[in-house]
Amino acid sequence: MMKKKSDILWPLGFGAVFLIIWQLYGFHRLLDLKPFQLPVPSEIIMTIFKNLEKVSGDCLLTVTGAIAGMAIGSAIGFAVAVTATLFPKWGYGGLTVISAFNAIPIVALSPIMNRWFSTGMGQKIGVVTVVTMAAMAINAYRGLNDLKPFSLDLMSSYAADKRTVFFRLRLPSCLPSVFTALKINITSAMIAAIVSEYFAASTSGLGFGIKDSLRKAEMAMGWSYITVSAIVGIILYLIIQAVERRAIKWHASQK
Amino acid sequence: MNNTPEITIKNVSMVYNDKGRDVTALSNVSLEIQKGEFISLLGPSGCGKTTLLRIIADLLQPTSGTVEVCGKSPREVRLEKKYGIVFQSPVLYDWRTVRKNICLPLELMKIDKAEQNNRVDALLEMIGLEKFQNHYPNQLSGGMQQRVGIARALAIQPEILLMDEPFSALDEFTREKLNEDLLRIWRKTNKTVIFVTHSIAESVFLSDRVCVLSPHPGRLSAVVDIDLPRPRTKEMRESPEFFNLVTKIRNSFEGV
Ligand SMILES: Nc1ncnc2c1ncn2[C@@H]1O[C@H](COP(=O)(O)OP(=O)(O)OP(=O)(O)O)[C@@H](O)[C@H]1O
Ligand SMILES: [Mg+2]
Repeated sequence: MMKKKSDILWPLGFGAVFLIIWQLYGFHRLLDLKPFQLPVPSEIIMTIFKNLEKVSGDCLLTVTGAIAGMAIGSAIGFAVAVTATLFPKWGYGGLTVISAFNAIPIVALSPIMNRWFSTGMGQKIGVVTVVTMAAMAINAYRGLNDLKPFSLDLMSSYAADKRTVFFRLRLPSCLPSVFTALKINITSAMIAAIVSEYFAASTSGLGFGIKDSLRKAEMAMGWSYITVSAIVGIILYLIIQAVERRAIKWHASQK
Repeated sequence: MNNTPEITIKNVSMVYNDKGRDVTALSNVSLEIQKGEFISLLGPSGCGKTTLLRIIADLLQPTSGTVEVCGKSPREVRLEKKYGIVFQSPVLYDWRTVRKNICLPLELMKIDKAEQNNRVDALLEMIGLEKFQNHYPNQLSGGMQQRVGIARALAIQPEILLMDEPFSALDEFTREKLNEDLLRIWRKTNKTVIFVTHSIAESVFLSDRVCVLSPHPGRLSAVVDIDLPRPRTKEMRESPEFFNLVTKIRNSFEGV
């Protein structure tokens, strides 16, 4: 219990000190920056509230794209992992192809998707889908196949069929890996959505907001978008972690 | 008494291929086991005890030789779900509570709910884990997990119980208590038990016959009849007959 408390207090304290130094122009002195180059926290927060409607609208758009893309990408990745498990002959090839997708940089992917989809949302979802498929496919495949020693033997001794083995053994034992993938994916989904907006034809979303404000040298506005992106990313991650806590409370990692 | 053996092991050899190198785990093992017999496989680490047990259970195909169980192949007997196996590690499913782990084979065999609950309650009491029935395996000690594994094997009331060092992770007290519990259950049901152990005293206390295996290559070097009367009691562990048998078995090990 004591350890738990200090686990939270230390990062919190560190964050607070970081913000105070920033607010008192500590970093400006250190890096020789002008106040307009790096707005202080209080100014950023005021800017967010002044432009709340616009910022939250853009935020909603980006988050929608990120979550939709992540849902589709994770579902495809999971389906590939299941296929590879049940039909190793073809499935393994699919797994390899999807892993190769993982190597395509987002900056290359976005312009391609731009030409495929007419709407900004379609393009965003397309990019996020591709980016999130691999992590889910690889992790879920590992979870479905790295079983505890003898656990398959136990099923054989009950003369269990493939279907029973899948639902009673493979599926539950892959849950921890699925959550690992979801936690990786929620972060990369937000990054992918934001970066894809840099290249999009449309003029909305957090990514466009950051690019446009910085181009117009509206530093406080740019930093507001950055701040909101970071906070939303953290909140989404924490939500997944909370669901994980409930879903796999039996797992050693959740003690 | 009917003298056709329930399990006939004939010239069974097992050669593993370990990265291109052949490892002979079992060499020409032959053994007949009667219905209702309590047999121990005793031997040092690596002499092929687990290998032999897995071959009987149809989890492994021998390189040569045959196993017959009630005139059938081990595969047929496995598909009839007549084996109860306690593995060398507990092999509990982490996402199931103690209760649900014991229940797993009963669910798979679609035994009715009330009967499931009766059996699980009785087994929980036997292994002394009623208070932990809603705990997850990760919340239990190694010895407690092993006891759950034993209860799960007994739940299906198998014709043939195969136990691979089920008590080696337990302390002396629990071990002796479970030895007696096991004998009580065995006497009531009169099922065939093949019991793997490292402990000479344990094998003498439990068995009708002790099969001594020697390593490199694994082979059957002696079969010792244990003619201690049944039911076996705690006091028997102190008797001269008991010590004589322990000594006899110890002397039968070849070059260990
Ligand atoms: N899958 C395998 N591949 C290669 N060699 C194996 C394999 N399984 C067992 N062996 C070898 O076969 C021999 C017998 O192994 P086995 O597990 O049957 O021994 P054991 O008597 O059960 O030992 P222990 O008491 O330590 O459990 C050992 O020398 C081991 O190295
Ligand atoms: Mg063994």
